[in-house]
Amino acid sequence: MNDFSQTKPAIALAGINLTLGQGANRVHILKDIDLNIGTGGTVGLVGPSGSGKSTLLMVMAGLERPDTGSVAVAGHELQKLDEDALARFRGRNIGIVFQSFHLIPTMTALENVAVPLELAGAAAPEKTARDELAAVGLADRVNHYPAELSGGEQQRVALARALAPNPAVLLADEPTGNLDEETGKQIVDLLFAGHARRGTTLILVTHDQALAARCGRIVHLRSGRIDGDGTA
Amino acid sequence: MSVALPARGSSIAMRFAFRELRGGLRGFYVFIACIALGVMAIAGIGSVAGSLAEGLARQGQVILGGDLSFTLVQREATAQEMTFLKRRGEVSTAATMRAMARTADGRTALVELKAVDSNYPLFGRIELTPGDSLPDALAMRDGVYGAVADPTLMTRLDLKPGARVTIGSATLEIRAALTNEPDKLAGGIGFGPRLLTSEAALRATGLLQPGSLVHWHYRLKLPADDTTDNAANTVASAARAQLPQAGWDIRTRRNATPRLERDVERFTEFLTIVGLTALLVGGVGVGNAVKGHLDRKRETIATFKALGADGARVFSIYLVQILAMALIGSAIGIAIGAALPYVIAALFGAMIPLPIDPSFHPGELALALLYGLLTAVAFALWPLGRAQDIPAGALFRDTVAPAPRGPRRIYMAGTMLAIAALAALAVALAYDRRVAAIYVGVAVAVFVLLRLVAAALMLIARHAPRARSTALRMAVANIHRPSALTPTVVLSLGLGIALLVTVIEIDGTLRKQFTAALPEKAPSFYFLDIPSDQAARFDTFVRQRAPDAIYEEVPMLRGRIVSANGVAAENINPSADAAWVLQSDRGITYANDVPRGSRLVEGQWWKPGYDGPPLVSFEKRIADGLHLKLGDPITVNVLGRNITARIANLRLVDWQSLGINFVMVFSPNSFRGAPHTHLATLAYPGGGTPAQEGAMIKAVAGAFPMVTTVRVKEALDAIGSLISNLVLAIDGASAITLLAAALVLGGALAAGHQHRVYDAVILKTLGATRAMLLAAYGLEYLLLGVATAFFGVVSGSLAAWLIVTDLMHLRFSWLPMPALIAAGGAIIVTIGLGLIGTFAALGRKPAAVLRNL
Repeated sequence: MNDFSQTKPAIALAGINLTLGQGANRVHILKDIDLNIGTGGTVGLVGPSGSGKSTLLMVMAGLERPDTGSVAVAGHELQKLDEDALARFRGRNIGIVFQSFHLIPTMTALENVAVPLELAGAAAPEKTARDELAAVGLADRVNHYPAELSGGEQQRVALARALAPNPAVLLADEPTGNLDEETGKQIVDLLFAGHARRGTTLILVTHDQALAARCGRIVHLRSGRIDGDGTA
Repeated sequence: MSVALPARGSSIAMRFAFRELRGGLRGFYVFIACIALGVMAIAGIGSVAGSLAEGLARQGQVILGGDLSFTLVQREATAQEMTFLKRRGEVSTAATMRAMARTADGRTALVELKAVDSNYPLFGRIELTPGDSLPDALAMRDGVYGAVADPTLMTRLDLKPGARVTIGSATLEIRAALTNEPDKLAGGIGFGPRLLTSEAALRATGLLQPGSLVHWHYRLKLPADDTTDNAANTVASAARAQLPQAGWDIRTRRNATPRLERDVERFTEFLTIVGLTALLVGGVGVGNAVKGHLDRKRETIATFKALGADGARVFSIYLVQILAMALIGSAIGIAIGAALPYVIAALFGAMIPLPIDPSFHPGELALALLYGLLTAVAFALWPLGRAQDIPAGALFRDTVAPAPRGPRRIYMAGTMLAIAALAALAVALAYDRRVAAIYVGVAVAVFVLLRLVAAALMLIARHAPRARSTALRMAVANIHRPSALTPTVVLSLGLGIALLVTVIEIDGTLRKQFTAALPEKAPSFYFLDIPSDQAARFDTFVRQRAPDAIYEEVPMLRGRIVSANGVAAENINPSADAAWVLQSDRGITYANDVPRGSRLVEGQWWKPGYDGPPLVSFEKRIADGLHLKLGDPITVNVLGRNITARIANLRLVDWQSLGINFVMVFSPNSFRGAPHTHLATLAYPGGGTPAQEGAMIKAVAGAFPMVTTVRVKEALDAIGSLISNLVLAIDGASAITLLAAALVLGGALAAGHQHRVYDAVILKTLGATRAMLLAAYGLEYLLLGVATAFFGVVSGSLAAWLIVTDLMHLRFSWLPMPALIAAGGAIIVTIGLGLIGTFAALGRKPAAVLRNL
């Protein structure tokens, strides 16, 4: 088992195997993954396309259930939670940033950021959402709908949304994949700033070696297996 | 169109639901239209019926002709009875009967004769053209009585004011056209136009023979100091208590036209069933729309879940949206439905022979809203339940979605509960619960059957041998592939065709029954009021002029059932089919043998010359409807005398033979010595020609002025035109259902449009020509259309057969041509609607679409 962290693990994966598809189309995507990630660390998940990076991230988020093995996030065994309990757990403990933003098109930036807070029953969700948007530089865009925002702005809203509930773990799946270089850099800066400010554990899936190099630890995946694990 | 937000402080589900709807109602238009149409039909029918009932109730005094009406058949009121009435208010007397009007040059017409006294009318206004004084118009001038006539009679006999007609043995001068008769509705449907004259003139005609078919109506106007309903009821009770032998039919202004009100209620129920069908068909559209909406929202749902929403919360967000849409649709339907009585009164008020009093009916509208919401829930819950299980992982890859399966049990149970509530509501509120229960059963069976038909079609397509034609191969594949249009198209098209064929077949059968070919042995004439002492001479007269024709003649009296098996008539709870027998006086006869056209099914016929206590033979179905059996006593009031007879046997009668037949046939000794007339029919072999019939009417009218001749064809024409109006109302309500079916079909085809564009673009990229794609899609719709049309024609015909034979008790005749034309039309519409979308798909540039895949 690889364990670079001396602190209590934020995420602990043991014996993870996952296959998708049926019959002849069945693909073994994750193979015997053991991985511990310490609280407050930054981890870059890298590897070629189809190596299983995004799927591994989904397993950590509880969005995908492995065929074998155990997943613990912030001390909770995810396999023991049913679908609804998982959703509630995610809302309070895990923030996710997607490559394609996945904002709700009919809600304003403010409302999009407030969604997880409202779902978690947080006090003053709008005020928190407004503060989070200000923190990512969108104080003057709070009432804009996603379609009225640029790609970079949308990803900043998505980041504010992910950080708003103060999650223990922040997962980012190719967060700059749909953005130009300059905008991507701004997002990454915000991502790391958010992590530093709150002490959130950050796991980042990326193809970008330079971005991965900003993480304290880099995990290489190849054909569904961990192929390398070390500091940047 | 955007949606207003709910106030702060409402639940999260409400907030999220309405935020989501800000994008507008796109995708919900078919949903809203389906609910609006069904609710409109139910609210509109209820409101119009309510307005009609209110009109009848408010104008009860005018329609009835008094605060109370006492009707006697075949006899006038006795001195004692008149004293009773005159002590209680102002009395007006009117007599009605059928008679033949003859002009000097021999033209004849059957008329509904009405003779009134100088107090007529107690309520309402008579309108004449020219003139305005009825007493003046009816007064004797130069030894000739006056009369006023319905304009149709004046047209038919080419009469102008001043012209003379003969009725019986009196000559009357037509002084004016009768343009408004306030109490016309109380008389029910007449077979001829009205001729109104004075009581003295009627006596002069000589038509008032013992046993003549005349009704005497005594209308009472209560004293001005007490005209309450209570006062009217007190008089009615006193009349029953003090004059129990009178045998009169007593009505108060609150109950002026009970038969008409019952007919309106029954017809309303029938139309409501058609409206419910519109709502059910629309429900399919609701289900499709909800499924389509959730498919489009898949990513949003997954995002909600990724952000911490559990399944129940996702479900409640979309349930709120669906209920909001159902409320919008219902509100539109209710608004139009509530306005319908006003629109009908404004546009057609003058043409409708009933008093419609447009008003707002909150109860009917609330019921329509309830139907609308229940339908939305019943059809939305199933697809909505699936939303709970959309995984958050759908954000990452589409293939994560599991194969389609049913929702959780709680949603299945909820769906069943909503369906059961709909069914219970429809049955509980029905006038005839049996009919409503049959309807519910048939509706459920048709839905299940159509699902099975769709499944069978997909199975056949899956296992069909591989076609050589690429277009055909694609068409067959499209029928069975996952997310094929087959189930929704089969359901909406199948329901539409089945309903269309049902309505067409019922319509055709009714029209044929009343307008086209008569039964082979149907008589050409009924001769009424043949005086007993002239019966033999009349017999000889007719036989001489029509030696080949079949002539039948029976004695006839009129009688009211007073009690059956010891239960007073007003306390009997008859079945809907048998209620008419108790509603007014009925023709009765006596006979030595079983009458022709009927068959003995229980008990024994009495022996010739039977001289024991009176016996009666009862029609079997009516006896069942009145809960009567062999040996039960029946008391009938004939000519003011109560006669009690025991049921000796039961007969089944073929009413459609149009021969002479009666519900009650008594043993001849029952009415010994009672004055009566005779009723006769004449049937020409193969049916009479107009020349034969015209000559016979003229001859009879000349030689027997007391005898009334009813030409069967004319009577059936009168019923036929009434039926046409009823069928028009049914057609109108059905058109709404068909519109709903077309909407559902169009919505289903539109929902598949995105897939069609994708398919078309990929196939074009791979080398498919537009012609080939068009052929493939056209063939797919044709195959689906033909298979569904076959089911629709078969099930629609079966439904029509069931309704015609079981509910209407008529002979069913299947008309293949209209059914096939309807089915063909529906197939063409399906192909047309399908190809409209396909043309758009074919026109798309592949590169633009591919970039966005």
